[in-house]
Amino acid sequence: MGGTIQNRDAFLATIATQLGREPKMKVEKPIWKHQPQRTVLADASLDELLGVLRVQCEQIHTDIVETTKESLPVALDEVVKAYGGGPLSLWKDGRFGEYGLSDLLETKWPSEQIEVNSWDPSLGEKNIELAEQANIGITFSDMTLAESGTVVLFSSADKGRSVSLLPTHYIALIPKSTLVPRITQASDMIREKLNNGEQVPSCINFITGPSNSADIEMNLVIGVHGPVKATYMVIEDC
Amino acid sequence: MKVSLFITCLVDMFYADAGKDMVEVLERQGCELSFPKGQVCCGQPAYNSGYVENSKSAMKNMIKTFENAEYVVTPSGSCATMFKLYPDVFKDDLNWLPRAQELADKTYEFTQFLVNVLQVENVGAKLTGKATYHPSCHMTRLLGASEEPKKLLNQVEGLEMIPLPNAHNCCGFGGTFSVKMGDISEQMVDEKVNSAIVTEADYLIGADCGCLMNIGGRAERVGKPIRVMHIAQVLNSNE
Amino acid sequence: MAMKFSKKNFTDRTKENISDDFMRQAVASAQERLHGRRLDAAEELGSWEEWRSHGEEIRQHVLENLDFYLHQLSENVAERGGHVFFAKTAEEASDYVRDVIKKKDGKKVVKSKSMVTEEINLNAVLEEAGCEVIETDLGEYILQVDDHDPPSHIVAPALHKNREQIREVFEKKLDYHKTSKPEELALHAREKLRQEFLDADIGITGCNFAIAETGSISLVTNEGNARLVSALPKTQITVMGMERVVPSFEEFEVLVSLLTRSAVGQKLTSYVTALTGTRDEGDVDGPEEFHLVIVDNGRSEILGTEFQSVLQCIRCAACVNVCPVYRHIGGHSYGSIYSGPIGAVLSPLLGGYDDFKELPFASTLCGACTDACPVKIPLHELLHTHRRIIVEEEGRSPISERLAMKAFGIGAASNPLYSMGSKVASTAMKPLTKNDRISKGPGPLKDWTDLREFPAVGNTRFRDWFYDQKGGK
Repeated sequence: MGGTIQNRDAFLATIATQLGREPKMKVEKPIWKHQPQRTVLADASLDELLGVLRVQCEQIHTDIVETTKESLPVALDEVVKAYGGGPLSLWKDGRFGEYGLSDLLETKWPSEQIEVNSWDPSLGEKNIELAEQANIGITFSDMTLAESGTVVLFSSADKGRSVSLLPTHYIALIPKSTLVPRITQASDMIREKLNNGEQVPSCINFITGPSNSADIEMNLVIGVHGPVKATYMVIEDC
Repeated sequence: MKVSLFITCLVDMFYADAGKDMVEVLERQGCELSFPKGQVCCGQPAYNSGYVENSKSAMKNMIKTFENAEYVVTPSGSCATMFKLYPDVFKDDLNWLPRAQELADKTYEFTQFLVNVLQVENVGAKLTGKATYHPSCHMTRLLGASEEPKKLLNQVEGLEMIPLPNAHNCCGFGGTFSVKMGDISEQMVDEKVNSAIVTEADYLIGADCGCLMNIGGRAERVGKPIRVMHIAQVLNSNE
Repeated sequence: MAMKFSKKNFTDRTKENISDDFMRQAVASAQERLHGRRLDAAEELGSWEEWRSHGEEIRQHVLENLDFYLHQLSENVAERGGHVFFAKTAEEASDYVRDVIKKKDGKKVVKSKSMVTEEINLNAVLEEAGCEVIETDLGEYILQVDDHDPPSHIVAPALHKNREQIREVFEKKLDYHKTSKPEELALHAREKLRQEFLDADIGITGCNFAIAETGSISLVTNEGNARLVSALPKTQITVMGMERVVPSFEEFEVLVSLLTRSAVGQKLTSYVTALTGTRDEGDVDGPEEFHLVIVDNGRSEILGTEFQSVLQCIRCAACVNVCPVYRHIGGHSYGSIYSGPIGAVLSPLLGGYDDFKELPFASTLCGACTDACPVKIPLHELLHTHRRIIVEEEGRSPISERLAMKAFGIGAASNPLYSMGSKVASTAMKPLTKNDRISKGPGPLKDWTDLREFPAVGNTRFRDWFYDQKGGK
């Protein structure tokens, strides 16, 4: 299912002519003289990274909850209720089970009339509708960037883009082991995937707190098109 | 130490007193001063307006004039910056490039020379009152002389330095900009004057007579009570 | 909106904007806030200069090898099912987008903020073809609702409006009845726009950086509108200026870090999204069809010239936010969608000197822009280069000025001439001088004395005093 390419040759030939040379077919990326990004938080331990994340969360108007694997169901239940309960929109993600949340999702919440909708590719566009009507979207973080307070989400058939976007509130579940210094490590992870012959997913989201805008008098307004509030739940897992 | 003065057109014609103060400060530091007679203008007015070719004759004159100097010292960050740009102007002229480079390398703005070459921060000045300092753009950003004036002013006995709000903003002089774009320049200098007034300082100190002529001239026109002083005048005060 | 949006001349535009107190206050306070935030963000990193050097090196490398990286990008986009269209001109670009939409029978188009789509006048072309085009960035939306008011800032397009003006626009056009609180205004926009996202057939985005190695495009926002535009409509069209490519994710992350810090002082904005091709098999959201339009529109002519470095620009507006001229005249005075120092360099290059020859002179060459630029574009030097070309190569300056500068060239090179002139000046100015001041100057001096006092030429020049005191040497 390859796409098409139009008008390329003349366009690129013009560029080469302007640059005073023949078109280039091969370029080796240089070893960059400066790489300051490699030194940021380079030696920080996981606990130190967590400390950085904690401070950063204040700047990005995001609540942070720290919990253990054992207390996660109770802690998550509290946050969900503080946000006003369901309907909920979730990724279809094995990690919910691994982190002991099956009971909460499948039994407790339904019994309390909290609607839980896990992403289901077979339902097609219905998923988007459900996410749009959801009060809270919940996903895991695939990688967590301490410096900026960012959760990195890789999309897939089971992990729709809409879950972290359309609901009014957003909760990111962050296994502590996913903490890394900064976005540099995310680019390293992508490099590793490429080296392993994998493709990058169609959508990678770097999400840093709730949506906001400073378009009115450069005054920060929290909550514009995406979620208006966000909570990060850091789970002790290592 | 032998120092050749590059006095600049503005100081020569309008602010001779600032020049005299610089002379006295340098002499007290043991400098032996000379004034190479051939000097006129560094060429900046034409150069900045885009007339690079027309400015080259002025530049060559300056290069020749200061050919034998050991150190060239000037009471203007902006004119010193112009000298530093000569090598770029003559980059394709193999005859003049080395001479331009030599001049650029031995040129210092007055406060840079005191602090970095003579290594002196306290020149024994006394001036009672409150002052604020306007960091001129060329001097601060292009020449890189941002800390030197502050170091010197902090040592002046009796002088209380008050930070100037939005100090980093240009005063609106910009050479021919001040007359070519009068409407804009007026807004810029008004804001600068008002920022200085807000500090309640007695003196607005600067290290470039172009900026001072602009700020002082405007303050006077609109009747704002602040005295504008060149830093050489402050450093030569004893009151 | 095309790049040029005003028929008035520069002087009239400037006068008009200088008298707009609302705008000036908005700009001044925004500048002050952003200035501090940017400095804090830079300081936090500790090695800002090294970051800048890294950014510069990446951008320079890309421009030197631009044909290679665009080739690689297009191959990889196509491999992931996207269609790539290389557009030489603005017309080719907007016509292509229009034709794609026609083929899809698209009616409703949602857009996220993109300067290049302004540059190619896309909205007008699509509206003429019968599409409904909705800007979804809050700032752009405000401008669109206000009868297509032009943007005045490349990052915060509605910067010139204050909250009360925005409230009035919303009341008049959107049946809004609440206060001028930014929160309430934004909430109203959210509610109005959410349904539009869900209904739209076509999403159009710009592109902050395209990643050659993977064929990805990236979108950097705080609002999340670009995510909605790229997640919900079935067809996504992305328009990018041809210089906005980077080799791989490694360089992408560096430039994003520079961009968000420089633009808004944030370590990262709320949403940085990297999108690759069409939706993957089994995906429910994301576009089924993806088009990437790569626009030249005058950029290639900048390559290989002394202005090449301007193409390093990552559109952060740090230069705009520190510019003391922009501070007082606002974005609309520039008459171009690209305002501030970057606009004063870029607009004459893309739009020509006929329309934009004043812009390079609307600067004191104070260098604040160059200092602020995260990829080290020597902006004030490029402004000076424009000046040189305008007066020396194009001969577009007034004759009187040319003669004066010629005379300067002669007078300033000769001490005898200067000496005579400066001595005569003292005598000639005498009748105009009162209390050592000249308040009403003749000829060229008038422009100065209209605004400020001018110092009288001293009776004794410094050089005379020096010789008198120290003896000639």
